[in-house]
Formats: sequence, structure tokens, C-alpha cells
Amino acid sequence: MEEHDGLSELGRALADLDEGGVEHLVRQHLDHGMSPEAIINELSAGMAEVGELFRQEEYFLTELIYSGDIFKNAMAVLQPLCKTAADGKAGGVVVLGTVQGDIHDLGKNIVVTLLECAGFTVVDIGVDVPAQRFVEAAVESQAVLVGMSMLLTTAFDAARETITAFTQANLRDKVKIMIGGSVTNENVKQDMGADFWGKDATAAVDIARAVCQ
Amino acid sequence: MNARQRIAAAVALQKPDRVPVAPLLDHYAATYAGYTCAEIMTQGDKRIAAVIKTATELGPWDMTFLADTANATLLQMGVPIPIKLPGRDLPPNSTHQFNEVEFLTPDDYALLERKGFLLFMMDVMGRLKPEWKGLRAGIPLVKTMLEYRRHAKMVKRQGMEVAVGFVHPGILYEWFSLGRGITAMSADTFKRKDAILTAGKVWRKGMVNLAILASRFVGVPRVFIGQSRASPEFISRRNFETLVMPDLEYTVNRLVAAGITPIIHSDTNWTKFFDLFLRFPARKCILELDGKSDIFKAKEILGSHMCIMGDVPAELLALGSKEEVLDYCRKLIEIVGKDGGFILSSGCSLPPNAKVENVRAIYEAAEKWGWYS
Repeated sequence: MEEHDGLSELGRALADLDEGGVEHLVRQHLDHGMSPEAIINELSAGMAEVGELFRQEEYFLTELIYSGDIFKNAMAVLQPLCKTAADGKAGGVVVLGTVQGDIHDLGKNIVVTLLECAGFTVVDIGVDVPAQRFVEAAVESQAVLVGMSMLLTTAFDAARETITAFTQANLRDKVKIMIGGSVTNENVKQDMGADFWGKDATAAVDIARAVCQ
Repeated sequence: MNARQRIAAAVALQKPDRVPVAPLLDHYAATYAGYTCAEIMTQGDKRIAAVIKTATELGPWDMTFLADTANATLLQMGVPIPIKLPGRDLPPNSTHQFNEVEFLTPDDYALLERKGFLLFMMDVMGRLKPEWKGLRAGIPLVKTMLEYRRHAKMVKRQGMEVAVGFVHPGILYEWFSLGRGITAMSADTFKRKDAILTAGKVWRKGMVNLAILASRFVGVPRVFIGQSRASPEFISRRNFETLVMPDLEYTVNRLVAAGITPIIHSDTNWTKFFDLFLRFPARKCILELDGKSDIFKAKEILGSHMCIMGDVPAELLALGSKEEVLDYCRKLIEIVGKDGGFILSSGCSLPPNAKVENVRAIYEAAEKWGWYS
């Protein structure tokens, strides 16, 4: 396999946002008998490079999102060919939703994309989500991390109620809760009693890695 | 100095007698005046009564918005995605919310180029709201503009300035980012650059012509330009310089040439692009920040070039104490307001659940620490 700066040709194509190149190389690798799992590994390395470029401020959200889109399209081809459904999903389970009273999904969707690309199984419960639905989703999926997104200060009460619902269900010790969204910060996290505040999507991935280790 | 002179001095980077106060008012007017958000979004008389009550009793402020961003008709005409409205789709006391679906298609770039600005806008409005299809959007538009002009006169009679005569929804990249959705627009940024550039030229000319016309009709020589998704949080400097800056410069220059002050309303963190704003005409523009950018860095880089407006954060107004708000305002006045060129305001809109004492504290801070002489 040809290497470019430590990345395979496929990994480099993804890191360079070469959508056509990724499609072509995935197809070529499959035609040459390469296992879907090995191809996913190369793609994951490419995504890791994208994340690194983002940290170095060479890439921005548009690059992150577009690379996630290319990655997902490739995974739609590869995942049905994998031997086990769990392949590529070794990171743990995270429940994500926008709290009740708020229907904004931009930030949440970015976090969903990045977590999936980082190998997490994400249970996306949508927007305007009642407190009890967060609890049910965490129980059903056995998630250890729940993320609550909000873009409105008026959603703070709903976020507090959601955390209370976890406490009342005796799950507060088992489930970590992170918050994110443009109106949140460390003070808001402390005020509502959450465990983590993700200042952006990559911080959310770092939190997920720390919690799910 | 009166309010008009104070704002004019701040824009010209001169020292007014006192730091002008101009929070961004929309849904909070309903909270303070005792109306529902649904009422002020759809009933003009209640909206203007709420605006005047809030801006006079919690100030008097030097300048106020007419709750433009809580005007259901204006919003539905300016935003290319379905909007959930209180009283219709949401409880009456909710704020409106954008339903971020992929409403505009890749073909809309070419459609805009082919049809031209006005016919394209009519097409989009007809798709969003069938009862506004074709020329039928003209009736609510004219009624809204007449109402807007009447409301502007009511505010001026109170001795306050009206913040803007028109809300420009942003250059094409911004507007299409809302209409296409962030995932599709991220791909367009790399796959449809030529389409963005070509359509952008049609959009910028049509929208700025409309902005100048409307601003003159209303009699308020300031225009709001919205921007958020072209910020350095979303796109690289290279893409900004290619896809955004030419349209933004064109828009700002056309407004300034028409004697209009652009209020460049910049949501999210724009700190890394501040230096690019030095290209705008000096002493003619207002940069409005929402609490996410580094407003103190803005003063360093742009303080001798353009007026800065902001930025008491929404979360501080909703959760903080009055003392915390006063402290923050004092810091803004002493650092960003040093030697003039500053308008004290909220970071984006006052949140509807802001504490009354916190909103009042903005004006109190200006009265206590904002006098220059």
C-alpha cells in the first residue's frame, strides 16, 4: 500500500477531501480483494488526520463536516460487507439530543458526525427531546455518556430537568452528562450540574474518549 | 448630546458625551411588557408598544431595534427555511425557531443566476409559503414596510434612534448556508465554488439595492447585515477571502456610498478575521459582536477603524447576578469604550429569560461609568 506522510493513498485522499478519489479507491480496493475492515482502517486514519488538521487550525468546520460526509458515503458501501456489525464501532455508545423546547440541530448533528467518524455508536434522539426520553434512550442503549445540545437560554430549565430525571432514575452515577451549544459555558455546566461542557465538536469527541475508555 | 449625535459620534470614532446604549431587542420585549412572543411576532401594535416600553423603562436607551428579528412577516420573507412560530407551531411564549432542513437545492444557484434576484426571491417565497406565490408576496411586503416606517417614527418621537432601516440577511454564502443546511453547504464550499461566486454577484447586487431602497423609505440610515456561518469557526481564511469577502466588501461599500451605516452583526467567533475588516471604509461601519468573539481584541485591531458594538453575553443576562453584569459592562466601557467608538449592547439578542435587573444594569453601567467628560 502506497504511503503518503504515513497515510495510505486512500487515507490521504480523504484527508485532502478528494471525494472522487475516495470513491474510486474504495471501489478499487474492494475489486482487488482488500477486506472492508482494512479499508475502514485506512479511512479512519484519514479522518484522524482531518481531526489533527482541525486542531492545528488548518481545517475548519466545513472541512470537518465535508470529510465526515465523504466518510459516511464510503461507510454506506463498506458496512454491509463487514463480517460483524460491530466492526468500526468500538468506541462506546453515546446518546445525543437537543433538549425540550429547542429544535436547533446544527451543533448536535456536527457532534453526531464526528463521534461516528471517531468510532462511537451514536443514538441520535433528535430535537425538542423530553427529559424522560433521554433517560429511556440511555437505558435502552446502555450508554455511559449523554450529550444535551441547546442554543437557547430558555432551554436551560429543560436541561436541568433532564439531569434531575437521571438522578430520579438512579442513573446519575452510571451516566455522565455533557452539554454543548453556543449559549453554554463552564458556568452553565456548573449551574445545571452536568459533568462536562464541550466547547466545540472536537471537545465533545475528546470527552467521549475520556468517558468511554 | 442627543441620541442621534451620540450614535453618530461613536460611528465616527469620536468621543460622545457618554457611551451610547443599544441592546438588541426582540423577544425580550414580550417578556418585559407582558405579552406573549406570539403576540409581538404577529401584532405590530403590541410589538411596538413592547419595544417602546422596554427601551424607555429599562433605559432610556439611545437606540433600539424594532424587534425586527421577532417580526414573523419579515422573518418569513428573509429566511430560506421553514420557521416554527409561537402560537402556531410552538407554545405562545416560545421564541421562533428555524427548522434546519435542506430547503434550497444545488439547482438554486443556477436558478438565481438565470431568473435574477427578484424573480428568484419570488420563487423561493412561493415555495416556502404558497399563499405568497408570485406577486402576492408584494402585499404583505408593502404593508410591513409601511408599518415599519410608522413604528420608526414612533420610536424617534421618544428621543431614541432606530437601529436599522432594513435587515439584510447576509451575503449569498450566509443565506444559502441557512437554506442548504450546514452539511450540504460544507460540500458546496468545495464542490460548487464557481456556482457560489457567480450566483453571489447576482445576489449581492439585488439585495443591496433592496436594502438601500428600504432604508431610505423607512428613514433610518443604518442597515443590519447578518453573518454567522462564514465565520472562522466554519470556514478557512482562504475560502472566506474567495467566497465571502468580495460580496461583503461590495455590500458594505455600496451602503456606505449611499450614506448608510452598515451594522455588521457577527454571530459566533470572528476574532481571526478581524484584520480583514480593515478593508471596510474607515469610520463608517459598526461591528456588532455577540459575546463569542474577543471584543477586546477587536478594540486592539479595529478600534481606530470602526465602531464596535456589544457584547453582554446572553447566558450572563439570564443566569448571572446584577453585579456580574455591571462588572462586565464596566470592563467593556473602560477598555472597548476608551476614547470613543463604542456602543454598549447585548451579545446578540437579549434572551427572553434575561433578569430585569440585569437588563436594567446595562443602562445603569453606562450612566455610572460611561461619561467621557
